[in-house]
Amino acid sequence: MSLYKRSIWVFHLNTGGCNACDIEILDVLTPYHDVERFGIKLVASPRHADALLISGPVTREALPKVIDALLAVPEPKVVIAVGSCPISGGIWYDTYSTIGGLNELYRILKEEYGINEPLTVRIPGCPPRPEAIIHGVALALGIVKQKVKFNHIVIG
Amino acid sequence: MRKRLQLIKEALSIGVVTRKYPFIPAEVPEGFRGLPQFDASKCIGCTACGNVCTPNAITFVDDTSLGIRRLEYYLGRCIFCGRCADVCPTSAITITKEFELASLNDRDLRLVIDIKLIKCQSCGRYFTTFRHLNTVAGKLQEGVVDLVNICPECRRKLALDSLIKLGGLK
Repeated sequence: MSLYKRSIWVFHLNTGGCNACDIEILDVLTPYHDVERFGIKLVASPRHADALLISGPVTREALPKVIDALLAVPEPKVVIAVGSCPISGGIWYDTYSTIGGLNELYRILKEEYGINEPLTVRIPGCPPRPEAIIHGVALALGIVKQKVKFNHIVIG
Repeated sequence: MRKRLQLIKEALSIGVVTRKYPFIPAEVPEGFRGLPQFDASKCIGCTACGNVCTPNAITFVDDTSLGIRRLEYYLGRCIFCGRCADVCPTSAITITKEFELASLNDRDLRLVIDIKLIKCQSCGRYFTTFRHLNTVAGKLQEGVVDLVNICPECRRKLALDSLIKLGGLK
């Protein structure tokens, strides 16, 4: 799967996270890991972006802003979920003040706006290593193959 | 100007520091906690890992209609604390150094293990897994092993009955 032939511009959106993932994202941009060699660049507006990079468990306060930012990204768009929180809510999956991750956000988008789930790269980790974030981005670019897969085991 | 030239000299002496990560494998430090590996052949379904799991990434559900205990592990919720591996009595869970876990869909982040349940010999209800009973029976002394196949509720009644008989109460 390679959605983009050109460089990906990314809008970084913290939706109420603890900043651990944001520090790792900063680390990815340093010369040590240098994600700009893949043409990836942080931009200041979601209207300029190809991908929306979400960290944090999407709090109730942040939900309208997340929806606004997601709708502002032009098609075709990719959502990169960094960390356990945006994927499922993390350790805040059932608290009153968060909606519990992207699955719930996509359900709200489907019901309220009639928008289907955009292509999402989920990068688990609390926080993920900088290399894990690079692996996720490389997965979206089609450089590497996915390693994890669903498994159902029945034992006696 | 001279200062800048000195800076260039310094930068050239350091050389390129960027790692060629996705094209060559990355090294992971000692003691790094990555993906927990579940060895289903060792699992006894004792639910210790589910009890201790902080974000409830490991959940246990007893399905009495199918007679199975279902372990569901959701990688998307795991915080890689390694407590499950610490408490596992059979060391079925080991913490690996795997960190390349990115996935394009939610389903690939899940693992399901179905373990068969066993019925109580006295009341006929499912109460625990066969493997769990086997492990417990191996650790018990002679004489009490027969009571293993009975659920805790029936065992309590049985103990009370024997007490009543012993004391001659009515």
